Amino acid sequence: MLDSLSASLKDALKKLAGKTVVDRVAVDELVKDLQRTLISSDVNVKLVMELSKAIRTRSLEEEPPKGTNVREHVLRIVYQELVRLVWASTDVKLEPQIILLAGLQGSGKTTTTAKIARFFQKKGMKVGVICADTFRPGAYEQLSTLCEKINVPCFGDPKGHDARKIVKEGLVATKDLEVVIVDTQGRHALESDLIQEIIDLNVITKATHRWLVIDAALGQQASEQARRFHEAIGIDGVIITKMDGTAKGGGAMSAVAETKSGIVFVGAGETIEDIERFDPDGFISRLLGMGDLRALMEKAEEAMTGDEMDVNAMMKGKFSLRDMYKQLEALNKMGPLKQIMSMLPMGNMKLPEGVYDVTSTKMVRYRIIMDSMTDAELDDPTLITSSRLQRIARGAGASLEEVRELLKYYKMMQRTLKGLRGASGGKFNMQWMMKHFTGTQ
Amino acid sequence: MFGGLKKRLLAARNRLDTSIGAVVEPSTAPVETTSPEVPAPETPGFPSLVDKVKILIIDRELVVSDKDVSEALSALEMTLLESDVALPTSDAIIAHVRTSLVGKHRKIGESVDTLVVRALKNALLTVLGNGFDLTEYIKTHEHPVKILFTGVNGTGKTTTIAKVGSYLKKQGFSVVIGAGDTFRAGAIEQIDVHAQRIGIKIIQHQSGADPSAVLFDTVQYAISHKIDVVLADTAGRFHTKANLMSQLEKIKRVMKPDLVIYVDEAVAGNDAVIRAAEFERTIGADAVVLTKADMDSRGGAAISIAHTINKPLMFLGTGQSYDDIIPFSPAQVVEELLGGDA
Repeated sequence: MLDSLSASLKDALKKLAGKTVVDRVAVDELVKDLQRTLISSDVNVKLVMELSKAIRTRSLEEEPPKGTNVREHVLRIVYQELVRLVWASTDVKLEPQIILLAGLQGSGKTTTTAKIARFFQKKGMKVGVICADTFRPGAYEQLSTLCEKINVPCFGDPKGHDARKIVKEGLVATKDLEVVIVDTQGRHALESDLIQEIIDLNVITKATHRWLVIDAALGQQASEQARRFHEAIGIDGVIITKMDGTAKGGGAMSAVAETKSGIVFVGAGETIEDIERFDPDGFISRLLGMGDLRALMEKAEEAMTGDEMDVNAMMKGKFSLRDMYKQLEALNKMGPLKQIMSMLPMGNMKLPEGVYDVTSTKMVRYRIIMDSMTDAELDDPTLITSSRLQRIARGAGASLEEVRELLKYYKMMQRTLKGLRGASGGKFNMQWMMKHFTGTQ
Repeated sequence: MFGGLKKRLLAARNRLDTSIGAVVEPSTAPVETTSPEVPAPETPGFPSLVDKVKILIIDRELVVSDKDVSEALSALEMTLLESDVALPTSDAIIAHVRTSLVGKHRKIGESVDTLVVRALKNALLTVLGNGFDLTEYIKTHEHPVKILFTGVNGTGKTTTIAKVGSYLKKQGFSVVIGAGDTFRAGAIEQIDVHAQRIGIKIIQHQSGADPSAVLFDTVQYAISHKIDVVLADTAGRFHTKANLMSQLEKIKRVMKPDLVIYVDEAVAGNDAVIRAAEFERTIGADAVVLTKADMDSRGGAAISIAHTINKPLMFLGTGQSYDDIIPFSPAQVVEELLGGDA
């Protein structure tokens, strides 16, 4: 069902594709689809409303930069607004520090404690953990078992009942270590005695960082819980856990907005290594259920800084071997064609399978063959007769079949591009779009 | 736990009231008498032809139009979404309320309130389905009744088993727990401590053992000791992990549970629906337990899960102690949500 949602978002974007003037109706439709997508990714409803309002106003009021079409214009605004929300500086410094983890029951604090310990350990820091969960049976055993595996000292008292005392003793025991991570009992905002406990723990530890651990599946409640935790101990970072499921992590986004902090780590898996620094672009792609916009923009930018494409000629429907040469060159820098296509938010548009089949080694061969062609031949492949074919093959050290194959591939590309133009209402092809992605940067 | 939702629904209901009420105001405002609360359980279907004719002849009436309610309904939709009711579920509820309101012939004497409340009540009851009486089930089925608990990581399966165990013990049943979570560090210790505290026998193997074997042994123990109920714990697993799901299928094959209980948390958002559906598809579920209901006063997840997998909600977990578990009764909840006047 989420697939259908992001498909409708893609459809809405597609409708904007051919337009040159920002169309109020189309933007409204897009914003509405965006709202539904974000809400079904568990982003706080109020936050979604604010966000979509901003996107709507900006899309309608801001003049699209020259050379961009409406779709790119709106996409860029969507992207910027979302990044603005999640992208706060959350540098993880490799220096002595005390980290206090807080969160709801079952959000994955203990597992995360061990994962973070491993993270710092791998960076060459001396790490220790303190188990301040005196409530849940087996909590100490869980943490100490995990720590044993990675050889990190774990301080705790399975029989103790006073978290404050354990933490005080733990801090003494771990004073020679550089990074100390304090795992706490799960609690929620309505349990006032437990909230008082975490306030006390924060005072006792003088924690450098107070990170809130949020389950990726947490729903609308995330904002409220994050706000209360923030009021209590001043959260300065959020960790999303269980991202290996299908949850989108929208709750974490609400929490970040609420605490005005950033996302520090993302946990995605059951082994102790399964923790990553946060990557806003991947996260946003997942929220929206679309390809990785940012990566595409960057890749296109990199690839296009070299030779300029004759976009005008292509827009007129001319596609010569020379264009294909440049295209192959550009694509070569961007990685496999299929991967690139999957990153484009173009919905369910399909290219014929054969287009993908050109491997990078083949691309290199094709270029060598084309190097043996004359300028006239490159501009107008119909000139190539059988005697010319033989000359090209000899010049490139290739067989006649290879040259024929190249020409066949060229014809297929030409047809495909024609098809693309037809499919999306006029002047649209991949190359052209990529160029304009670059233009917006 | 439904306190927050109740407040919101009340507000939405008032909005519907005024938007429908506003239409009639000019001509009939003075006639509007608030009739006493009419009990909802009336046939949700359309009035029969005879009734219609009777109404047409005897009572003057008004027809509620789509326009009258659309604004209030979109407000209601927001309310539901904010309460964590998943998108498809809230769509279903809205559609239900819309069809039952629009085109309805409303007698002038009848209060708008009644009409709206009835529509909402029916919509919620349709979505929530019936409850599940575990005590009754155990009484009427052959012993031992084998109950398998499943769910994703960190939803509170182990704690729920301890609570259910304690609940059943109080009802006079004998219970044995199988420590089927052999994966997570500390899981066996956790359930062992719980079992000791509530005084229930537990069958356990070592960490890393085959959970199917543990649970098979548990069932054998129950049979030979004539124990009434087997509660089987399992490791939390994501529906996306094919190997873990097939392990669960194996467990199911080996221990042949009478009931499969799906455990999820009340604070989960839209993903609750996706994973519930996936669990239901791969290994099935006979009833649902929602945990951590004390964290959240909205309870939207209850509504969406029940709607998606169409399985009854059995218990709500509402706190950290063993008694914090309450059997769920949809009629009562709906009555509580909409019954009391503001």
